Amino acid sequence: MDIRSQISMVFHLDKCIGCHTCSVACKNIWTDRKGAEYMWWNNVETKPGTGYPTKWEDQGIYHGGWEKNGDGISLRGAGKRKGLLNIFHNPSLPVIDDYYEPFTYKYLDLIESAAGDDQPTARPVSMITGKPIDIKMGPNWDDDLSGTPDYARNDPNLKKLSAAEQEAMFQLERMAFFYLPRICNHCLNPACVASCPSGAIYKRGEDGVVLINQNVCRAWRMCVTACPYKKSYYNWHTGKSEKCILCYPRIEAGYAPACMHSCVGRIRYLGVILYDADRIHEVASASEGELINRHMDILVDPFDPTVIASAKKNGIADSTIQAAQNSPTYKFVKEWGLALPLHAEFRTLPMLFYVPPLLPVMATVKEVRNRKQTEKLGPISKVWDNDWLYDTSTEEIWGTIDQARFPLKYLANMFSAGDESKIKERLKKLMAVRIYRRWKTVGDITEKKAMDALREVGYTPEIADNVYYLTSLAKFDDRFVIPAAHREHAIEMLEFTGDKKGSTGFGFKEDTMKRGL
Amino acid sequence: MNNWGFANQKTIAAICVVSWGLIGSNWALAQDSGKELFQQRCAACHTVGEGRRVGPDLVGVNDRRSASWLLKFITASQSVIKSGDPTAIGLFKEYQIVMPDQSLSGEQIKVILDYIKEPGGGQEASAVTATAPEATDQEIAKGQDLFQGKIRFSGGGPSCISCHNVKNEAVFGGGILAKELTTVYSRVGEQGLRAILTNPPFPVMKAAFDGKPILDDETHALVGFLKLADKENAFHQPREYGWIMFGSGCVGVIALLSFYSFVGRRRKKYSVNQEIYDRQIRSE
Ligand code: SF4
Ligand code: SF4
Repeated sequence: MDIRSQISMVFHLDKCIGCHTCSVACKNIWTDRKGAEYMWWNNVETKPGTGYPTKWEDQGIYHGGWEKNGDGISLRGAGKRKGLLNIFHNPSLPVIDDYYEPFTYKYLDLIESAAGDDQPTARPVSMITGKPIDIKMGPNWDDDLSGTPDYARNDPNLKKLSAAEQEAMFQLERMAFFYLPRICNHCLNPACVASCPSGAIYKRGEDGVVLINQNVCRAWRMCVTACPYKKSYYNWHTGKSEKCILCYPRIEAGYAPACMHSCVGRIRYLGVILYDADRIHEVASASEGELINRHMDILVDPFDPTVIASAKKNGIADSTIQAAQNSPTYKFVKEWGLALPLHAEFRTLPMLFYVPPLLPVMATVKEVRNRKQTEKLGPISKVWDNDWLYDTSTEEIWGTIDQARFPLKYLANMFSAGDESKIKERLKKLMAVRIYRRWKTVGDITEKKAMDALREVGYTPEIADNVYYLTSLAKFDDRFVIPAAHREHAIEMLEFTGDKKGSTGFGFKEDTMKRGL
Repeated sequence: MNNWGFANQKTIAAICVVSWGLIGSNWALAQDSGKELFQQRCAACHTVGEGRRVGPDLVGVNDRRSASWLLKFITASQSVIKSGDPTAIGLFKEYQIVMPDQSLSGEQIKVILDYIKEPGGGQEASAVTATAPEATDQEIAKGQDLFQGKIRFSGGGPSCISCHNVKNEAVFGGGILAKELTTVYSRVGEQGLRAILTNPPFPVMKAAFDGKPILDDETHALVGFLKLADKENAFHQPREYGWIMFGSGCVGVIALLSFYSFVGRRRKKYSVNQEIYDRQIRSE
């Protein structure tokens, strides 16, 4: 047992409103620079849709991630032999048009043009060439475009669905979509790290954040190919690759990353999860059906005394262990079994988990007598004089899940390596909590029914209350449990701090000039 | 204190440089005797009383031409030819080579001409290297390597092949910046060659070998090689590559390009969205 600590994340997809505030927060802090304009370390995609870069999930195009070979795994498009063979001619790189050509507008033309017959316009100009361009694409070009032939219907996750299933998804009455915010997953078995010929990428020991050392990066761009999530980007201006740094300067200071801090839907949770590093290789090479279970196994119980002992032996601070015990992500992922990793089949063991979306609950429109209800309304309220009710209650408890607007297979392709039962289990739990809360607050469901629902998914009312609290009421400090960074310990692992003692205090980053020259 | 020490070192270095320069110029002055100048500047192409080489025999030249004509011709032969001087044109027609302009002062030219006038003058100068032994096979091979640049000149000068070519099986594609040297041996003669190599009279060659002299044994080896090349040229015509060379270059390029496009055939060449972009309406 080799216990390490990882800062992990949970995104609750039912809560995302697709406002892109997170992306903008990230862009303003980190990627508003020359050469980085096209990068979105945080982006929000509409699903079904092709995403950013287009069709990133299709490893037939980009050759990212690991693939199983025999007992072990190897990188699909990079690695020692393939990487060396292709080192000067990396064949599966996305081109700028796969992302989009970043642009701005010549706003000054609006106020500086000479008076004329026509309204002045601000022409779009490329942020790469500086020349006027026709905008072809944006980072969220297919936003809300479920059903479109060019985007939604080209979603790589539809590949394993039959034509009839696909057609059903895009019927006008059933059309639905949800948002998928993505950042780097700070994986346990990161393909980007494994692919780098210069050894520039590393997973930070103290909290598992994956970083690219800008001094060591030599622009081979193997990580761009290798990351199956396409979350490593090449900066054409500096000639170095860059990726999400999980706002580590903020985390070290105890703040939530900017995307999480600014999230309007409050969908994001961050906390420590302890894991057993000894088993990474074994878990990553598990068979496809076993991947998710094994991934969950490797995340260990922070209350288990043997785990705590091993963690302490590895120098994990008491405060970090405590943070792991309070971690909202551990609750969502392990305790409540609600969250799943995105595309586990890429075998990078991502540490960003998603609570799958329940999607719009199937509803019926019923004819009812509304008179009585209407009479109760005050004089200023709007009164509908028809007798229709948009009814979301359901006679059969799980009926709605099976008749969900999306085939479960679609969600399973994204979140559970194709295993529908796992998705169903999570959705049922979400539904059970909903039914339970409906009994409590609306009261049109009997207590028995609510309790039956909970019992069937293995929840107690107490757990349901906790899920409800963390989902809907949680405050900042409940959503983000950030341990003290203990940089001093991390630094001591790398260098002997005694060397600096007595020689610093009023310092300079570079040596000052010596006298006499 | 340290600073002073440094200044001292600098001064010493400067003194060294200056005095070395002075010694050098003294040495240059010492060479200004007629004999030395002749050896240095003229002997490569001319003899006195030993027949023509690259240029005419200079015996009695003072009687054949006027002093002013000689002065003009030696400093700028081409302008004399261009001016339409019949003697100069005749010389050019006969020898098929222009005499390189000599950067000699009027004084120095006079010294040389006086030296030629002396009874027996010029003969010993031309005869200096006359009795060199025949080059051995080993030396010829070394000369070939020197010519091709496989061995560097110990003085550090550039190898011959960078500017010259020799038609020979062994030499592949020499330079075309300067004269073709296949028959140079019969054109210039052994002594002429030796003199050219030790004291290049041609301005470009002189500049190229300035301060990087070719040593005697290297000269010997090169002369041996050029002699052999000349001799062999008489017997067989080595392959003339010409267009074949160019053609095979083209074929090579095509072969390489197709090899690389084969290797990279599965490369992702277009954007995934190309098909959508192609349908989009453009403003221009
Ligand atoms: S998501 Fe990609 S960039 Fe991030 S750690 Fe995983 S492999 Fe590396
Ligand atoms: S800020 Fe939050 S709610 Fe808005 S798009 Fe990002 S993740 Fe979704």
